Amino acid sequence: MSMQKKAGPFFYLFLLIFLFVIMFPFLWVLLAALKPPNELFGAHAFQIIIENPTLDNFARVFTERPFGTYLWNSTVVATLTTLYAITIASFAAYAVAWLPFKGKSIVLGMVLAVSMFPQIATISPIFMFMQSMGLTNSYLGLIIPYTTFALPLAIWNLTVFFRKIPIDLGEAAKVDGASIWQTMTRVFFPLAMPGVFTTAILVFIAAWNEFLFALTINTQEAMKTVPVGIVMFQGQYTMPWGEISAASIIVTVPLVILVLVFQRRIVSGLTSGAVKE
Amino acid sequence: MTTKGSLSEKQMGYLLIAPALLIILIIAIWPVIRSFWISLHDVRLNDPTKNEIHETYGLDMERYVNTLPNLLRYLDREANTAQGTDKDQLLGMKLQIEQMRDTLGQTGEVAARYQQIDQLLLAFKPVPQELKYVELTEEQTDLMRNTLQEVEKALLTMANQKLLQKPEGAVGVIQGISSALIEPNYVGFAYYKQYLTDGRLWAALSNTLFFTVISVSLELVLGLWIALLINRQFMGRGLIRAAVLVPWAVPTVISALMWKFLYDGQNGIVAFLFEQVGLLDDMGTLLTTKGGAMFSVIFADVWKTTPFMALLLFAGLQTIPQSLYEAAEVDGASKSQQFFRITLPLLKSSILVALLFRTLDAFRVFDLIYALTGGGPANSTETISVYAYKTMFAQMSFGEGSALAIIVFFCVALISIGYIKILGADLIGESRGR
Repeated sequence: MSMQKKAGPFFYLFLLIFLFVIMFPFLWVLLAALKPPNELFGAHAFQIIIENPTLDNFARVFTERPFGTYLWNSTVVATLTTLYAITIASFAAYAVAWLPFKGKSIVLGMVLAVSMFPQIATISPIFMFMQSMGLTNSYLGLIIPYTTFALPLAIWNLTVFFRKIPIDLGEAAKVDGASIWQTMTRVFFPLAMPGVFTTAILVFIAAWNEFLFALTINTQEAMKTVPVGIVMFQGQYTMPWGEISAASIIVTVPLVILVLVFQRRIVSGLTSGAVKE
Repeated sequence: MTTKGSLSEKQMGYLLIAPALLIILIIAIWPVIRSFWISLHDVRLNDPTKNEIHETYGLDMERYVNTLPNLLRYLDREANTAQGTDKDQLLGMKLQIEQMRDTLGQTGEVAARYQQIDQLLLAFKPVPQELKYVELTEEQTDLMRNTLQEVEKALLTMANQKLLQKPEGAVGVIQGISSALIEPNYVGFAYYKQYLTDGRLWAALSNTLFFTVISVSLELVLGLWIALLINRQFMGRGLIRAAVLVPWAVPTVISALMWKFLYDGQNGIVAFLFEQVGLLDDMGTLLTTKGGAMFSVIFADVWKTTPFMALLLFAGLQTIPQSLYEAAEVDGASKSQQFFRITLPLLKSSILVALLFRTLDAFRVFDLIYALTGGGPANSTETISVYAYKTMFAQMSFGEGSALAIIVFFCVALISIGYIKILGADLIGESRGR
């Protein structure tokens, strides 16, 4: 570990600037969300001090727009996608990491290749299928196509995590007479839980943020997800910046909390697949 | 250890990966193949005769059952009020249509389906997909097309001579039934040929490449610089790590909207600051000029993904053993020698993996452009995914749009193969673990 370099005052100054650059858009948008309309535009637009701070924008997002519905839709779709993808992927990743069978690199290669597919290349048949089955404007209409990115992401990450669990434990259980099923449920899954949890966070964020399928498949107001809903706030000639800012803050705050609480896990999840150890 | 009736480990392995593979095959791989197939057909979702792939001539039975009685009724009504030769002419047309119906009904299938669908429609029940289309022979198609054309022509002539009670209805009833006639919409590689000379495609492709190369290079250089800087002991590592994750975690469209606000020509603080420091003559030009818009899109992308890049490279840096640097120090190697001889070579695979994923993401870019510029002004930031989306969902031309989507797929495949050639089997890492 190259940790012997000590940080000086210039280094902390650099960190401060770095933090400021990263956080600046959020801070400015928070400011805009708290401004009344007359301070948002014109002479007041560039002022940091708000003369009459207000929570009106936050209230309007829920009273004048179905933002609560968007939040609920996103939560349902992202949660169900995560549960279903993680379940299927756990079995697959367990098999790839722990069981001996031929063609593992083909399986992993295929998973990796599918994760590189551009969404746009799958949208036309999926859209036409959803339309003919009457699944547009439904939760299932999004959960099914979300498989295209959720399942490869989950299989890939889980395989990397599962490979780190010492195989001797499984061998020991086998010697003690445990069946494959018992080995899997009693020995393996308890050890695998942290990896499963981390992967679940990554899949949830990916499903929560998805835009193209949500934009095209669920077009009814009552079925829109958050990203699509917020983009559609803008009228043809008007930009309700106050409301867009408030909605952005409402979506960002839970993510910031999630990231603060689980930062170690998320970082390990993001980097473990990409770094050779 | 296998006892009777239980599965061997190998069988269990296949059983456990089967669901995942099957789902990936159906939901990810099949659609791409199907996309390619659609791109060989003139599929338009806003045209009822072309809203699906049709390999053969056919009849949309639901539409036929719905519209044929209308036409007959119309002719009947006009004949009732007409006099002399006009009446005979109208009755003749009706006879012609009835003959057409009977000839089509001779195949048996059309007649049987006609009854079935008629009953379903009378009961207000939906017509199942498998009943909807009937295949027609070329003669049947010609008969139907010619009959309808003749009747339409005759009706229009009569309408012009003011011989019809309701001339405005004539065109409607004919068009209604004509749209039940389905022609094969296979066009082969016509769209691909068309795109070879399509200026908008080449512009979109060069926009995409420009965006990808510039933003990914900036992200790599800045990310590496930040990773090297924070690769030391300092207070608040957790805070930095969390801060770095926030732009990554926020939905791309939301960050795009935030930047749109910051870039705004009248009230945007970033545009204002750019004007103040002399980067811009007029803050209003940031999103309204070609160069300004492209710069804005790249800047927003760099802001969102550089931290992520730094994170990946930082993780790679931490796997380099410190002893290598100590040995180099002893041998009197300078800092820059250490960087080029130790850090870069050992970081190579981390850099390549990060570059691969970032390049693919950048090449597929859609959300950011859609929300920030919509591809404008004057298509100057339109990437190929955005072009494909607009062709499909604004013009409803799915055949054409799918051809564009397949071009994106092909480019992405080429990029991946290029990187994987360099990376080798490292990526899949069979050697790791078991």
